Amino acid sequence: MTLLWISLLPILGAMVPLMAGRQSRIQCAWLTAIAPAAALILVLQQAPAVLKGEVLRYSTEWIPQLGLELAFRLDGLTLLFCLLILGIGLLIILYARYYLSEKDSMGRFYSFLMLFMAAMLGIVMSNNLLQLWVFWELTSLSSFLLISFWWQKTEGRKGARMALTVTGAGGLCLLAGILMVQQVVGTLNVDEVLASGDQIRQHPWYTAILIMFLLGAFTKSAQFPFQFWLPHAMAAPTPVSAYLHSATMVKAGIFLLARMYPVLAGTDLWFFIVSLTGLATLLLGAYFALFKHDLKGLLAFSTISHLGLITMLLGLGSQMAAVAAVFHIINHATFKASLFMAAGIIDHESGSRDMRKLNGLIRYMPHTAILAMIAAASMAGIPLLNGFLSKEMFFAETLHQDLLGSLSWVIPALATVAGILSVAYSLRFIHDVFFNGEPIDLPKVPHEPPRYMKIPVEILVALCLAVGIVPNLVVGDLLYAASSAVIGQMAPNVDIAIWHGLNLPLLMSITAVLGGVIVYSQRKRMFRFQGQFQDRDAKLTFEYIIQSMVEGGKRIVLFIDNGSLQRYLLCLLTAIIVIGGYAMLNLQPLKTTREPIPLDAITLVGAFILCCGGLATAFWHHKRLRSLLGLSVVGLVVSIAFARFSAPDLALTQLSVEVVTIILLMLALFFLPQRTPKESTPSRIIRDLSVSGAIGGIIATITYAILTRPVSSISDFFLANSKIGGGGTNVVNVILVDFRGFDTLGEITVLGIAAIGIYKLLLRLRLSMPASDVIGRSWSPERYPMILATVSQSLLPLALLVSVYIFLRGHNEPGGGFIAGLVTSVAVILQYMAHGVDWIKTRLNLDYQRVVASGVLIATLTGLGSWLFGRPFLTSWFDHFHLPLIGDFELASAMLFDLGVYLAVVGATLLILANLGKMTTSYRPLHKEQD
Amino acid sequence: MTLPFWLEILVSTCLILGSLFALVGSFGLARLPDFYTRLHAPTKATTLGVGGILIGSALYFSHQDFNLSIHELLITIFLLITAPVSAHLLAKAAMHQELPQMHGTQGEALLKAQGHSQVQSNERQAEEKKDSEKGGDSTTASHKIT
Repeated sequence: MTLLWISLLPILGAMVPLMAGRQSRIQCAWLTAIAPAAALILVLQQAPAVLKGEVLRYSTEWIPQLGLELAFRLDGLTLLFCLLILGIGLLIILYARYYLSEKDSMGRFYSFLMLFMAAMLGIVMSNNLLQLWVFWELTSLSSFLLISFWWQKTEGRKGARMALTVTGAGGLCLLAGILMVQQVVGTLNVDEVLASGDQIRQHPWYTAILIMFLLGAFTKSAQFPFQFWLPHAMAAPTPVSAYLHSATMVKAGIFLLARMYPVLAGTDLWFFIVSLTGLATLLLGAYFALFKHDLKGLLAFSTISHLGLITMLLGLGSQMAAVAAVFHIINHATFKASLFMAAGIIDHESGSRDMRKLNGLIRYMPHTAILAMIAAASMAGIPLLNGFLSKEMFFAETLHQDLLGSLSWVIPALATVAGILSVAYSLRFIHDVFFNGEPIDLPKVPHEPPRYMKIPVEILVALCLAVGIVPNLVVGDLLYAASSAVIGQMAPNVDIAIWHGLNLPLLMSITAVLGGVIVYSQRKRMFRFQGQFQDRDAKLTFEYIIQSMVEGGKRIVLFIDNGSLQRYLLCLLTAIIVIGGYAMLNLQPLKTTREPIPLDAITLVGAFILCCGGLATAFWHHKRLRSLLGLSVVGLVVSIAFARFSAPDLALTQLSVEVVTIILLMLALFFLPQRTPKESTPSRIIRDLSVSGAIGGIIATITYAILTRPVSSISDFFLANSKIGGGGTNVVNVILVDFRGFDTLGEITVLGIAAIGIYKLLLRLRLSMPASDVIGRSWSPERYPMILATVSQSLLPLALLVSVYIFLRGHNEPGGGFIAGLVTSVAVILQYMAHGVDWIKTRLNLDYQRVVASGVLIATLTGLGSWLFGRPFLTSWFDHFHLPLIGDFELASAMLFDLGVYLAVVGATLLILANLGKMTTSYRPLHKEQD
Repeated sequence: MTLPFWLEILVSTCLILGSLFALVGSFGLARLPDFYTRLHAPTKATTLGVGGILIGSALYFSHQDFNLSIHELLITIFLLITAPVSAHLLAKAAMHQELPQMHGTQGEALLKAQGHSQVQSNERQAEEKKDSEKGGDSTTASHKIT
C-alpha cells in the first residue's frame, strides 16, 4: 500500500500548484513540495528493508484481459532512482522558485513538473511492462509540456516537438518490444519476465525484441544517432534542463537498460550494439561539447557523452561494469544537476549564456563560482570527487574486456580520448566563464543570486565531495543493492577506493587530465579546425525529414483517397471479384438436390420489368431524373416480389422505404448540376462494363447457389417459439422486437446517430440553389398548388390512422413500429411538400433530434425495465386483458419497445428529409448557427 | 365455395370493365398526340380501371368471407382522392414548361397569357430574356407538330 502512495502522491501533487497558483510564489513552492517530500519520507522508510535485499511489491488488477495490472515494486535499483527523482526534484522546486520570473506562471510550471515526476516514478516503480510503457509515454508528453514551457519562443516549441517526436517514436518501438516479450514469456509481470531471461535469449525473436527495446532506450537517453534532440531541448527553462537531463528523463532509457539487463544482456549482439553505441555517443558528445559557446549547450553535449559512458558500461556485460554504471548514474546526476543549476544562476544573474561574453565571473559571484568549479572538476574526473571514482572504474572495465579480439585495446584507447575531451570541456567551463579576463558587453552587471537559490547547488556539491571522499560510507549500501538488482543476483563485493595503487586505470586518468589541459591550451587551433566544417543545424534536418514524411503521407493518402467515387468502387468491387471469384472456383456442384419452384408467367413478367428498370437506370444515368424513375421501378417490383413470395412485412417496408428514398433522391437531385457531361472514355466504359459484369455474375452465382441448397436455418426455432415465447404471431416483428431486440436497439441507435450526423453536416453545408431549370426556365411562382395542399392536408389524419393501425397490429400481423414510422414520416413529408416549411413551422414545431433521442431512450428503458423483475436485459413480457367495449386484447412490453423504434424512425427520417428540404428555403439550418 | 351465378356475372363484368379501362388507358398513353391528351389516358386507367377491378375483388371477397370487405373500398377512395391530384400536378408542370399542345386545344390563348404573366413575374431581366426566347421556340415547335 505504501508503494501505491509513493507513486500516487506526486500525481495528486500535480493538482496542488494549480490550486495554489494564486498564493504568493514562495507559498506555491512550499505547497508543491509537500507531496514529493511525503513520498520521499515514505521511500526512506522502506529503504532499510530494500537495502537488506528485499523486494517490496504491490499489485492490484487493472485490465486482466490485457495482462495489465497496477503493479509496483521497490528493489535496489528502484530505490536509487526514487531517491534521485524525489530528492533532486525537491531541490529543483526550491531552485525554480527563484529562477522563474514574475511573468511565468508558477502554478503551471510546478504542475507540469509534478506530472513529470509522477511519470518518472511510475516508470521506475512499475512491476508490469505495459504499465511501465504507459508512464514512459507520459514522461514524453509531460517533458514536451516542460520543454515548451516558454511557448512564445520558437526554439522552445521546435525543441519540444523534436523531443516528443523522437522519444514518442522510440516509445512505440518499446511497446512493440514489450508485446513481443509478452508473446514469448506469456506475461507482462516484471518479476516473471526477469526470471525468464534464458527463455527470451534463446527465442528466435530475441534479436527483434532487443532492437525494439534498445530503440526505446536509445531515443530516450539520446544515444547516437538519436542524440540530436537533446541539445535542442535546452530551450527549456534551466530548472527543467537540470531535472530532465541530469537525473530523470534521459536516465529513463538507462533505467530501462538496467532493468532489462538480466533478460537481454549477456549476448554478443547486446555487447556490440550497446557498448559500441555507447562508445560512439561518448566520443561524439565529448567532442562537440568542447565547441559549444552556449553554456547549456556544452552541458547538453556533455550529458550525451556521459550517458554514452553509462550505456557503454552496461554494454560491456561484466558484473563490475554494471556496478560502475550504477555508480556513474548517481554521480552524473549529482554533478550534472548542480552544473545545470549553476549555469542557470549565471544566466539569470548576468543575462547571458554565451561563453564568449562570460569571462572572469569569479570576481562577481565567487560563491557560485566555487560551487560550479567543484562540480565541473567532478565532471572532469579529478580525484577526491565522485566523478573520479566512477570514471576510474570505467577505465578499469574497458581494460577487462576482449570482445573485439586482438583489437580490444582500441576501446580503452578511445575511452582515454573521451576522458581527455571531457577534461578539456570541463576546463573550458571553468576557465572561460570564471577567469579569462573581463566580461564582454553583458546585458547586466553579474552578481550573486539570492541565498536560497544556491542551497540546492550547495547540497549537490556537498554530495559530490562526500561521495568522492568517503564513498563506501555514503553510497556503499545503496550501490550494492542497486547493482544486485541490475545484475539479477548478488553483486560482487565492490571495493570503491580512491587509491588502488599505481595501476593502468590511474595512468589513464592522469593521461586524461594532462591531455585535457593540453587540448584546452591548444583550443584556438581546434576551433579553427572545427570552423572548417559546415555548420549543420539538426533542427533543419529534422524539420526537413518531418516535412518530407508529411508530404509522403499526403501523397499516399491522395493516391488512395482521391475523392473519386469510381475509384473506391473499383477497388472494392475488384476485391470482391478476386475474393468472391476465388471462393466460387472452389464451390463444386453449383446446383444441388433442391427442386426449383416452377416458373410462371407473372414471375417472368415481373423479372422482365425488374431487368428493364435496372437497365434503364444504368442507361440513362446521365439524365438523373429519368434514371431515378428506372430505380423506382426496380424498387416497386422488388416490393411486389416480396408480397408475392409471402413476405408482406418486407413488402410494406420496402414500399415505404422506396417512397422515402425517392423523395430523398429528388431533393438531392435538386442541388446537383442538372447536366452531366459525358466523361467516360471508351476504354473506361469497357473497364466498367467488365467489372460490373463480373460482379453481377458472381452475385448471381452466390444467390443461385444459396437458393438451391437445402438449408436448415434458425427460422424453424423462431416459427415455433414466436407465439409462446414472444406472444405474437407475426414472426418477423417478434424477431425484431424480442428475439433479436438487442440488434434492433443497436440499429435504431445507429440510425439516430446517422441522422444527427447528417443534420450536423447540413448545418455547415452551403449549397448553391439553381435559380432555374436546365434550359433556363424559372421555377413556377406557385410553389404550393392549392389542390395538393388541400388534399394532402385532409389525407394526413387518414395516413396517421393507417400508421397507428399498422403499429398496433404489428405484433400479430404484418406491420410494426418500423413500417408505421415510415408511413408517418411520408405523411408528414407530404405536408412539407404541399405546404412549405412556414406552414409546418407554425403547426408542428417538433425538434426531431429529441424525437430520435426519446425513441432510443424508450427502447433502452424498456430493455432495462426487465432488470426490475430480475430478468436479463430486454426480456419481454405479455399478457391478455379484457376491457368493456373493446374486448380482449394483448399488451406486451415489446409494444413499448416498438414505440421506441417508431419514434426513432420517424425522428431520423424527418430529421434528414425535412432539413435537406429546408435547404431550399430561408429556414436552412445554417441560419440557426449564425445567430 | 362456389359463387352464385348472378354474382359471378357481376364480378366478371367489373373485372372486364376494369381491365378494359386499363387497356384503353395504356393504348391511349401510347397513341395520343400531345402531353395533355396523353395525361387523360392513364388517369382513366388508375381511377376507373383499378376501381373496377377493386369493386370486383370486394364483391368476391365479401361473399367468400361472409364479411363486408372494405379494404378495397378504402383503396378505391384513396385512389380517387390521390390520382386527380397527381394528374393535376403533372398538367400544371406541363403548362409551366409550355409543352406543345395539339392544334385546336381549347383556351390556347389563355395558356399563353398565363405563361407570359409568369415570365413577367420573374424578377431577373436576363432570365426573362432567355425565357421569352424559349417560349418562342416552343411555339414554333408546336406549329411544326400541327
